[in-house]
Amino acid sequence: MKKLILIGLLIVSTISCEDFEGWNIDDKHPGEVSGDYLVTFAQLQMARRVWDMNVNTSCFAMMAQYWTETTYTDEANYDFVTRNQGGNYWNAQYTNVLANLADAKRIIGENPLLSEGEKANQTAIITLMEAYTYQSLVDVYGYIPYSEAIQGASNLVPVYDKDSDVYNDLFTKITSAVNTLKGGGSSFGGADLVYGGDVAKWVKFGNSLKLRMAVRISDVDKAKATTMAGEAIASGIIMSHDESAIFPFQSTPPNTNPMWEDLIQSGRLDFVVSNTFVDVVAPLNDPRAGVFMQDNVVPYDGGPYGANNNYAAYTHIGTQFEDEANGGVMLGYDEAAFLKTEAIARGLISGDAEASYNEAITASIQYWTGSASSAAAYLAQPTVKYDAANWKKSIGTQKWIAMFARGIEGWASWRMYDYPAMNTAAQSQLPVPRRYIYPNAESKINGTNYEAAASAMGGDVLTSRVFWDKGVGN
Amino acid sequence: MKTKFNGILTLLLAFMVQMTFAQERTISGTVSDETGPLPGVSVLVDGTTRGTETNFDGQYTITANVGQVLRFSFLGMTSTTRTVGAENVINVTMTSGENTLDEVVVTALGIEREKKSLGYATQEVSGDKVNTAKDPNFVNGLSGKVAGLDVKSSGTMGGSANVIIRGYSSLTGNNQALFVIDGVPVDNSNTNSGNQRTGRGGYDYGNGATDINPDDIESLNVLKGGAATALYGSRAANGVIVITTKKGQDRGSKGIGVTVSSSITFNKFNKETMAEYQKEYGAGYGPYYEDDSGYFLLRDVNGDGIDDLTTPSTEDASYGAAFDPNLLVYQWDSWFPQLDTYQQARPWVAGKNDPTTYFELGHTYFNTVAIDGATEKGYFKLGYSNMNQEGILPNSEIIRDNVDFGGSYALTDKFTASIQGSYIKTKGKGRYGTGYSSQNPMQSMRQWWQTNVDVQEQKAAYFQTRENITWNTSDAHLDLSPIYSDNPYWTRYENYNTDGRDRIIGNVALDYKIADWVSVLGRVSLDNYNEIQEERININSSDVSNYQRFNRSYNENNYDIMFNFNKDITENFNLLSTVGYNVRRTSVSSIFASTNGGLNLPGLYSLENSANPITAPTENESKVGVDGIFATASLGFANTLYLEGSVRQDKFSTLPRDNDTALYWGASGSFVFSSLFGNNNVMSLGKLRAGYAVTGNGAPAYSVSNTYTLGTPIAGQPTADLPGQNNNPDLKPEASEEFEVGLEMAFFKNRLGFDVSYYDKTSIDLITPLTISTATGFTSQVLNAGEMTNKGYEVSGWVSPIKTNDFEWRIDVNWAQNENEVTKLPSDLQNILLASVQGGITINARLGQPYGTIEGTNFVYTDGQKTVNSTSTVGSRIGKYLISPTTEVLGSFQPDWKGGINNTFTYKSVRFSFLVDMQKGGEVFSLDQWYGQATGIYPESVGLNDLGNPVRNTVANGGGVILPGVKQDGTPNDLRASMDNYLNAYGYARNPNAAHVYDAGYIKLREISLGYTLPQEWFGGDKGVIDGMTFTAIGRNLWIIDKDVPYADPEAGLSSGNVQGNQSGVYPSTKDYGFSVKIQF
Repeated sequence: MKKLILIGLLIVSTISCEDFEGWNIDDKHPGEVSGDYLVTFAQLQMARRVWDMNVNTSCFAMMAQYWTETTYTDEANYDFVTRNQGGNYWNAQYTNVLANLADAKRIIGENPLLSEGEKANQTAIITLMEAYTYQSLVDVYGYIPYSEAIQGASNLVPVYDKDSDVYNDLFTKITSAVNTLKGGGSSFGGADLVYGGDVAKWVKFGNSLKLRMAVRISDVDKAKATTMAGEAIASGIIMSHDESAIFPFQSTPPNTNPMWEDLIQSGRLDFVVSNTFVDVVAPLNDPRAGVFMQDNVVPYDGGPYGANNNYAAYTHIGTQFEDEANGGVMLGYDEAAFLKTEAIARGLISGDAEASYNEAITASIQYWTGSASSAAAYLAQPTVKYDAANWKKSIGTQKWIAMFARGIEGWASWRMYDYPAMNTAAQSQLPVPRRYIYPNAESKINGTNYEAAASAMGGDVLTSRVFWDKGVGN
Repeated sequence: MKTKFNGILTLLLAFMVQMTFAQERTISGTVSDETGPLPGVSVLVDGTTRGTETNFDGQYTITANVGQVLRFSFLGMTSTTRTVGAENVINVTMTSGENTLDEVVVTALGIEREKKSLGYATQEVSGDKVNTAKDPNFVNGLSGKVAGLDVKSSGTMGGSANVIIRGYSSLTGNNQALFVIDGVPVDNSNTNSGNQRTGRGGYDYGNGATDINPDDIESLNVLKGGAATALYGSRAANGVIVITTKKGQDRGSKGIGVTVSSSITFNKFNKETMAEYQKEYGAGYGPYYEDDSGYFLLRDVNGDGIDDLTTPSTEDASYGAAFDPNLLVYQWDSWFPQLDTYQQARPWVAGKNDPTTYFELGHTYFNTVAIDGATEKGYFKLGYSNMNQEGILPNSEIIRDNVDFGGSYALTDKFTASIQGSYIKTKGKGRYGTGYSSQNPMQSMRQWWQTNVDVQEQKAAYFQTRENITWNTSDAHLDLSPIYSDNPYWTRYENYNTDGRDRIIGNVALDYKIADWVSVLGRVSLDNYNEIQEERININSSDVSNYQRFNRSYNENNYDIMFNFNKDITENFNLLSTVGYNVRRTSVSSIFASTNGGLNLPGLYSLENSANPITAPTENESKVGVDGIFATASLGFANTLYLEGSVRQDKFSTLPRDNDTALYWGASGSFVFSSLFGNNNVMSLGKLRAGYAVTGNGAPAYSVSNTYTLGTPIAGQPTADLPGQNNNPDLKPEASEEFEVGLEMAFFKNRLGFDVSYYDKTSIDLITPLTISTATGFTSQVLNAGEMTNKGYEVSGWVSPIKTNDFEWRIDVNWAQNENEVTKLPSDLQNILLASVQGGITINARLGQPYGTIEGTNFVYTDGQKTVNSTSTVGSRIGKYLISPTTEVLGSFQPDWKGGINNTFTYKSVRFSFLVDMQKGGEVFSLDQWYGQATGIYPESVGLNDLGNPVRNTVANGGGVILPGVKQDGTPNDLRASMDNYLNAYGYARNPNAAHVYDAGYIKLREISLGYTLPQEWFGGDKGVIDGMTFTAIGRNLWIIDKDVPYADPEAGLSSGNVQGNQSGVYPSTKDYGFSVKIQF
């Protein structure tokens, strides 16, 4: 009997009460990290949004008609429902970039080891990164969740803000951040892979972004555009390649340039240069042509836009874009110079438009060919030379060329100027969309706000226009 | 194999010696009913675990002491008891049941109860129902056999089976039934990735219950509702399948029993469930290539300086040139210098061997040796089974070894120790790639294929060279790297997976009888396994070469202590009660590692062969603890009225500390009204029952706070990413409230009977990682969000229209209908997205709809007629169906009802039975048809139209088809829709999703079996060495009598789980032909 009691006790002792304290802590994943980690990750994601041409996410190279597809032509024909491109781009911007930036801000604010000056600078840089991202979202969709966005559980159904309101608020935030950063001091250091924590360069980035936005709104609010452009130029924009915002993509996965992933790693042959691009660039003797395009077909022959194209028969995208570590330009000297040109041509600021135009094109040639020596001859051609009487055509065409493969800016430029002429997509017979459609899921999970935004914009359709888009289109 | 068998023989001998030494008094006798000797009657010594069964001649032998009580029981017969006196022979005549429900069934926590006392629905299935027509995954064998149990096989070798009882009750949590083997809970979830479940590729590694050896199953009891499962508390919401394994039997002077069974099953792919191919046109998407016709490329393949016609190699479709045996074309086999056919053109004709020749004859060997024996002190059993399966795809194999053992020994009069366990070793190789992936040959064969390709020539090319000689190269002749599809044999022999799992399931228990009416049981149980899953992609495949491995170990321990009371308070008043404590501890540890950016050396699958430094492996560690206190009591009055109550409190480690307990309870009662009428020849049984219960479903690990994912550092800088899912610090467990009533009746001495149940279940506080607008910063928010109801009827019944001494025809019917509705979602949400699958289809839980709506674009209807586009400026849209501008609900994956009818004919020792299994309703989207109908591989894309012209002619040229429906002005459609390229009238490019959503209903001849038991006299009767020998021939899934889904099995899917209703690269099902022999010594 004693033995039995012993055994009984043994059983009972194995079944002891547990208060489960600490059981909800995951030993393999951190509950808190340094804000630096999140900022570095967000920069990678920002750059990927510009350079990723995955047909599931960013079809901007086809919005700008730089490229077209070979066999599977849904995206070139602007079908964005099947693969939910609107959702995939939106999700990446909100969850990979904006959510991490907001969280980094919180962590930095709570970090007792940082000086007030560092906190202010780091926060200001994050604000500029957020502004860049929100500005892209407005340009792509129009109305977007902004004032109620990134609030997690406290607001599961954020309202969509009017696109012009978002721009106006971003102007204020950029100005404030730039003013903070002008005070100098240290910020992120190495965790900032774009500028290495150089606050002076971030000031130029902020002003260039402000100038980009000022130029965008000049057809709808010239007064505001004038003020903003003037402030940006006075405070200093990007003036050299050294000041360009370029993300250093790596030569080994997973942090490679996503364009390499799309063109090479995938093993697919989905893209050729479109006839839209070849037809504009080929006659211009452009020194960048050999960088932008391969010479697999002589002379260059672009695939008819939106048609089924035999890969072997048409011009392939330049080998530079097949490089794993091709630089992830987010806002470059060439673009900044074009923005200045546009601001002058539009009368927002004073200056010599032609000189600025030449500077912009030269900057682009320098960047892509490694030398500016061929720029003068190129600029001297009557087809290229700045035409003050038809500056929209000059700037519209040349900026579009300079933005090659950076589809999101090329597409925005085309929406501003409606140059060069684009093709109607061969199979769908659709013109170039004026915006992306919202994520497929939004109508289901944020229905009321989605409906309000869609109806205010004239429908969640490809033909609705972002507030600054007053171009005529084709 | 030989050594294993020798080992068993040694053990066997050892036991023989052991058994013969046991000294005891032997009782023998014959059990019969009015028709003669009754085999298979269970004979138990009351109050002990000792028992036996009557043999084929109704004879039994058992040892017992004077004064002990022998209990004789048999399904459908009244149980009889006899007290052992001076006699050595006890013959018993059983009478067929005034009371069928004297049978004892195993209920929650292993508690044995008389069925008639239960106030809730349970349905028992005997082991031979799952181990005769043997499916390696015994779960598949339950289809159609239990009312209210929805079993669906995913259709790949070793793949998972979805097991749902009484509908889906959790929005995104686990909905799979819990399996409990001899008291050991075995989770039925799977470890398949999210990508695999949503059709983005990967392998189906099967579900947790797959490992159970069907040959070791004595019986299964399905506890359907909350009142039955309430004692399991937080694991009870999905129903429980209680499995009782075989026990040892007392064989008297024989000492031990040896059972050998052996079966072989052949699996032949079912043509009706595979694609059919048109034989009129070959490779291409349309006339836009290089020759004058536009259908061919021009390459100088033979080196004569003149361009030759070659197939458009990159084009994985069959919208090319019409076949013409006089046209000579350079095809894939002419481009590879390694092949004898290099630089040779061949006639442009359909491939002689289409992809249906790709499948091989699969087979499964299943061999079992089991020994068992018992004395008055206890029993022992030991079994070994080997299962060896080769699938219908080349290079596919699963080998499973099971060792099952169990024993019990009475250490003293009051103290009994017992052990039950299984060791299972599974090795898999070449499981079928699933979903939209290059590793799934069905992706190209059902969706993207060139009909000019001969599969057997691809096979020959692979085996001749062992290289990836594909028809789908990046360029004809100039660039021979694969673009989308690999050679299908390369896929199977180079890019295969392997996996292994070592598992121990078992328990040890001590039972102490404190007094006649109270005992205490202590039990420790274990379910432990370690598994590895390795996946490979060799260099020169269309995908980036890769090696990845996933190691996972799982451990669950349950510690139970239970006090069992059984007391007759008065002569008519019996109290049965259990009070106990359960401690559950589950831990899971896994690590996943993969090469980065490819391999360096071909064919070497190791992490160090990574082309780039590997990124950090993904580790996961989780542990879950639940402590439960429970009590149940049942009062019986005069064997007529029974009342039962259960209560359980669970404390969860996964919930916030200040709010981590939940209370579950159930109450039920039954009224055996037939006992008021006494014995009569009309009504054998009448019982009314009712029950109510609150059960639950716990929270997953780490659901209350967020953690970051650390990413690969960039240029030395560390990175981190917020999780997509926002966890909830205020979480509570899910609860289900369920009410049920039932009526059980039997008539005419059990010739006819039925059991009808109605239940109404409401599940609340459903834990939901709710898909939210990502503008919140997260992709999902964990909430106690939803509410769902399941209401339904279950009917099971039987009738023996003919029953004579020698012959019986018996019909068993099972039918169940479940109506499910999502009744509440948080805030103003209308919908929860369960999955976004390819083709723009979503699977959803939508408010006011049944769970699992399939949503996508629909037809546009005018006055109820499908409307075609009659106004478009785009020619390829004219005459095609208009597509709804927004997505709509196109159906739900849940069936309207399911049922099974089984007929059994027994003539002397011959037994013939067949089971017809059916499902009404439920929908499924076919990505295979969505794409395949566009790429022109199916017969629908060819033939002649109403004008007698080839439909593939351009419309201007008299081609095209007139789709049924109306034009936009409401007049009947008379416009011909183009069929001359992939923008045709039927495929994805110009059709709404609704066109490829099909009714998933079916009627199948699920099982057919013919068994013959040889007369025992042949083996020398009682004195012979052999006690019995049974031969069985079986067929499974031989005939799909009716279905709607074209070219596929309506049941085929991707994985078990909550994402159903999506067919993407599914495999054909198989017709299985088997033969088995079972010998008892």
